[in-house]
Amino acid sequence: MNNIYRPTEAVLEDIILESPTIKTFIIRPKEPFEFKTGQFIELTLPGIGEAPFTPSSDPNIKDKIDVTIMNVGRVTSLLHNSTKNISLGIRGPYGKGYPLDKFEGKDILVVGGGVGLAPLRSLLFSLFAQLDRYNKVVLRYGARTPTDIIYKDSIPQWAKKKKVDIVTTVDVGEPGWKGNVGLVTTILKDMPVDLKKAISIVCGPPIMMKFVTLKLLELGFAPKDIYLSMEKNMSCGLGKCGHCRLGRYYTCKDGPVFTYEELKDIHDIWD
Amino acid sequence: MYNIYYTENSQLNEFADRLTSKFKVFSAAVRPANFTKETDYSYKTLDKSESIVFNPYRAVEPLKSFFTHPQEKASEYFVPDEKIIPLGKTVIFGVKSCDIAGHKIQDFVFLEGVEVDSLYRIKRENTIFVSSDCTDFKQVCHCLAWDILPHPTWGFDLNLSPLNDGFVVEVGSARGEELVKGYKEYFIPAKDTQISGCRQKRENLISKLKKHLLPQNLVRKDSVQRLMKDGYSLDTWQQFMLTCVECGGCNFICDTCHCFLLADKKKQPQNLKVKVWDSCQYANYARVAGGANPLKMRAQRLRFRFTKKFDFFVDNLGIPACCGCGRCIEVCPGKIDLREVLKDLAKKLKG
Repeated sequence: MNNIYRPTEAVLEDIILESPTIKTFIIRPKEPFEFKTGQFIELTLPGIGEAPFTPSSDPNIKDKIDVTIMNVGRVTSLLHNSTKNISLGIRGPYGKGYPLDKFEGKDILVVGGGVGLAPLRSLLFSLFAQLDRYNKVVLRYGARTPTDIIYKDSIPQWAKKKKVDIVTTVDVGEPGWKGNVGLVTTILKDMPVDLKKAISIVCGPPIMMKFVTLKLLELGFAPKDIYLSMEKNMSCGLGKCGHCRLGRYYTCKDGPVFTYEELKDIHDIWD
Repeated sequence: MYNIYYTENSQLNEFADRLTSKFKVFSAAVRPANFTKETDYSYKTLDKSESIVFNPYRAVEPLKSFFTHPQEKASEYFVPDEKIIPLGKTVIFGVKSCDIAGHKIQDFVFLEGVEVDSLYRIKRENTIFVSSDCTDFKQVCHCLAWDILPHPTWGFDLNLSPLNDGFVVEVGSARGEELVKGYKEYFIPAKDTQISGCRQKRENLISKLKKHLLPQNLVRKDSVQRLMKDGYSLDTWQQFMLTCVECGGCNFICDTCHCFLLADKKKQPQNLKVKVWDSCQYANYARVAGGANPLKMRAQRLRFRFTKKFDFFVDNLGIPACCGCGRCIEVCPGKIDLREVLKDLAKKLKG
């Protein structure tokens, strides 16, 4: 019997500290487990609880999955306090990922906020793996403070790639910080993107997504060209438990990636 | 088209009695009198030699209570072979038209979509519905408002229409036909006069129910989605939530509500996934890990319950998720009446 609620066992192989509140957990499933970039998984602490996360690793790596997690709730704080080599459960992958085919030949603007860069890292890896398919990749990333920036060592490496343009900013600087200071919306101007062939992908806290979306609309992006990752409390992941309903959709099965076109008539999407 | 049969009361009881040796049989039973003065019926196991009680209207419990439970094991994990407890076959007498209509939502949720809930499917495949016509209605009954008749027209295996000292038995499925064939000594082909006799009884009840509903001035089925869209910002939601005590009763008693939380439990040596009913009227229903909660206010949650029923399901299944059984009205300690909420929206949008 195929039991849709049964998790597959995985080993927590390593834990990487990304920031004081964010860690990346590297897990190795005991059974084959593949995902498309943008799809999410349910990660179980055996006997304790589970929570939804979008992997942050390259989907082309088949034997391991990275999940970058901020310490914000019951399950995540227990995960943050756990040690490696424990057993975890994974279910999924769920939802529709980023439609990479639709991005072909485009200028791809990726806008991330805080830990929202985690799912976007998986997307960036997918884009980097086939850069010749796309016209260019432009990343704009904002974090609260320089300490809160995740993937600190990777970002400069990515920026060296041809066809890749990266600008970061922080809401509040720290001594020694020479970079931009200001909300992520302040670095969404004079971007090297051709609106006629550009699409944008946004992931971050709801308030950030709201203002970035408004800014992108103002810049001239069409609602159908703005891809948003919606955060809801998906429990089953399969459109059965009801929790993640967003208007006529379930975030888990119809998303978690939606175009603004799909959401614009739904009330209170940013709450 | 299946055949139509007739069975006498005594034959039906013998039939049910024979079934008890092969199936788990449920039938209605009168509940102790309550404050409503109406007689209430509840499902109970039919024991051997016990007579079937005919319930003139739906039971207190929704039909979903045979398929989902407040808490139930969904999976044992990290064990090599998950044991499946073989489920016995069940026959339920006393199912009503509204139950069947409401239960369509459960079937849609758990049998369709991206994946099938196999535990639900097994239960569903092993359960036979012997429904029956309503011969009376409760004060809260309003199936006709949703174009649902007080007698089943689909979705049953057998349907009983009371007539004189017996029942006209309609067959609604191959399973039902098989059941009749297996016990053919209790069923004889119905005469045309018997069939037209119960048609007349059905018509009589429909006109009686129409008379009951007419002064209520209920909103029309095809207008509810518009009410949800246009009434989103009305103060109806604030007004009606004032007496909500967040008990979740409206959800748990509803045959269309299906929300649950997938929780984890430690039970040595294995771990369990447990499905626990959840209610969108609970404060933490939509809360996410960071603490953000799109349904912080009771008014938002009341509206969420209604938009799920009357907007989401109209978009996704083509029908509103309400069968007019009125259970949520009866159960509510705050006296929140679904009919009145809809009427208030309609009134304010008109005025």
